Amino acid sequence: MRRILLATIATFGLAAPAAAQGGGQITLQAYAGIFRDNYTQTVVAPFTAARGTAVQYHDGGTSAAMLGTLRAQRADPQIDVVIMDVTTAAIACAEGLVEKIDASTLPVIGDVDEQGRQAGGECGPAVTYDHLVMVYDSRAVTPAPTSLSAMWAPEHRGRIALSAPPNIQGLALTAILAHADGGNWRNIGAAMPKLRELAPAVQTFTPNPDGYTLILNDQVRFATGWNARAQLYSDQSQGRIGVTLPTEGTVFQINTINLVANSKNREQALAFIAHALSPEAQVAFTERMFYGPTNTRAQPSAAALARTAMAPESRSRVIPLDWSEMVRLRDGWNQRWRREVIAASNR
Amino acid sequence: MIGLLLCLPAALILAAGFVWPVLLLGRISFNRTNDMGAMEQAWTLETYARIVTDDFTWDLALNTITLSAGAAAAAVALALPVTLLIRSAPPRWRGLLALMAVAPLLVSGTARVVGWMAILGDQGMINAVLTGLGITSDPVRLINNLTGVRIGLTESLMPYCCLVLIAGMSRLDSRLEEAAATLGATRSRTFLRVTLPLAAPALAAAFALAFVLGVSAFITPRLMGGGRVFVVATEIFDLALETVDWPAASALAMLLLGTLIVAMVLRGVLSGRGAAR
Repeated sequence: MRRILLATIATFGLAAPAAAQGGGQITLQAYAGIFRDNYTQTVVAPFTAARGTAVQYHDGGTSAAMLGTLRAQRADPQIDVVIMDVTTAAIACAEGLVEKIDASTLPVIGDVDEQGRQAGGECGPAVTYDHLVMVYDSRAVTPAPTSLSAMWAPEHRGRIALSAPPNIQGLALTAILAHADGGNWRNIGAAMPKLRELAPAVQTFTPNPDGYTLILNDQVRFATGWNARAQLYSDQSQGRIGVTLPTEGTVFQINTINLVANSKNREQALAFIAHALSPEAQVAFTERMFYGPTNTRAQPSAAALARTAMAPESRSRVIPLDWSEMVRLRDGWNQRWRREVIAASNR
Repeated sequence: MIGLLLCLPAALILAAGFVWPVLLLGRISFNRTNDMGAMEQAWTLETYARIVTDDFTWDLALNTITLSAGAAAAAVALALPVTLLIRSAPPRWRGLLALMAVAPLLVSGTARVVGWMAILGDQGMINAVLTGLGITSDPVRLINNLTGVRIGLTESLMPYCCLVLIAGMSRLDSRLEEAAATLGATRSRTFLRVTLPLAAPALAAAFALAFVLGVSAFITPRLMGGGRVFVVATEIFDLALETVDWPAASALAMLLLGTLIVAMVLRGVLSGRGAAR
């Protein structure tokens, strides 16, 4: 009789929290546009279907704008989960806007690779890996370029779009060129003369709306971009936009997933984070949008993996850039760009 | 008393929509940003000191003032003939012509800038004509530089100048011009010696409005400057949304606001003295 009673208590004791965890709703703040479309279909919708938890997707704009929302809502958070880039996430973590979570809170974090677990200032783990690529007009640039040096060719003068620092792509490009020259991404001494030489050939240092669109509109032939979007636009443009991981290397752009401090729907939010980090969700999103998975147990198809930086042949070209260190170097690089590169652009 | 009560809704809207956000902005400007980029609550003038002692800030200020003053002067100069045409038109056409002069304000500023990008771009209409006619072999750089910003800013300020000039010059007594003509003055002499001096307050008001709008302009320098034109507004954007240094962005915004207020007060004082003479 005692055994039956214990079994009954155990059954209901376990079942009750499980039931409490289902249902309800959370608000997810993340990027808008094609990220939202694809993330909703491959990650959010299956989560809602499986758990019955509604997910309200709030378009956050840039990571900086999302940080602004978190700061404004500090006293009364309306967001439960936020996906933002690693540098901004580290700021949010330092300001106590997002919670520190680890494998003891969510066991699935133990499956995230080491770099991903350390991302975001020990708050939210990495949820996607992306990387800087060179994008080009495949109709105008033949043969397909493999190196960033293709942009220095005189025939492409005036047909290049680069994002200057403090934009993250400009910082990444500078780090890649610095690493290619001396093996140390922090020492930009040799990179700056190269950029100064390229500057007069650059049409714009603030591509609007972005480099992919400028290529499709015949405005430029080369631009820098992020791999995931570039791959998607390449498919949508029937290959017009070419994508190259340059021989000089690349750097990761890491998106982290974070639990907002004092979330009103903490349990559901943690469940969503667990789902987003699960191998199934990671594989689905990689197959759809070519972001590299962060869960070591995720096994996307070889075809999809080859279009991310997680493929073995690409992984070796990823420069181990520390974005938190970059925050400290950023202002100096920004000033040098303005005084040495943009000032030499003579347009 | 009734007058005060009638002003109350507008005052409340102004307080909620302008004064309160500006106070918040002012508060943030006294915070500090640490090495990690995180904002720390504080009451410090560190950020102001950093901004004021940075040479780049003074370059920014000079760029902003020269750019907006130039664009404001060009906008006033271009708006003046338009206003004179409207003033000399038959009364039944004046309304329609005035509407046409300010019609660009009915279109979003961003859309107008995008239109300019299509016209002035390296592969735009003007360069297509120039290269098509064999006048140039390479595209003329009309955008993604200071030239593009000057063109775009002048165009965006012109309708405001037209509005001010139409309102100001409609009050001019045309009998004075007729009297000058009767006394033998040529049309150009009448314009230079009678019309222009009478229109001076309206011209000054149009310039002041255009200058203030030019100083705070963001869309045109951002979209048409190609990252080569640095003004205070684009710097505030970069600080707020690229480097996430809110204290610096707020401090720069407060300095800009303070400068504009001082400039407007000075203008008011000077124009008051001028009127008193």
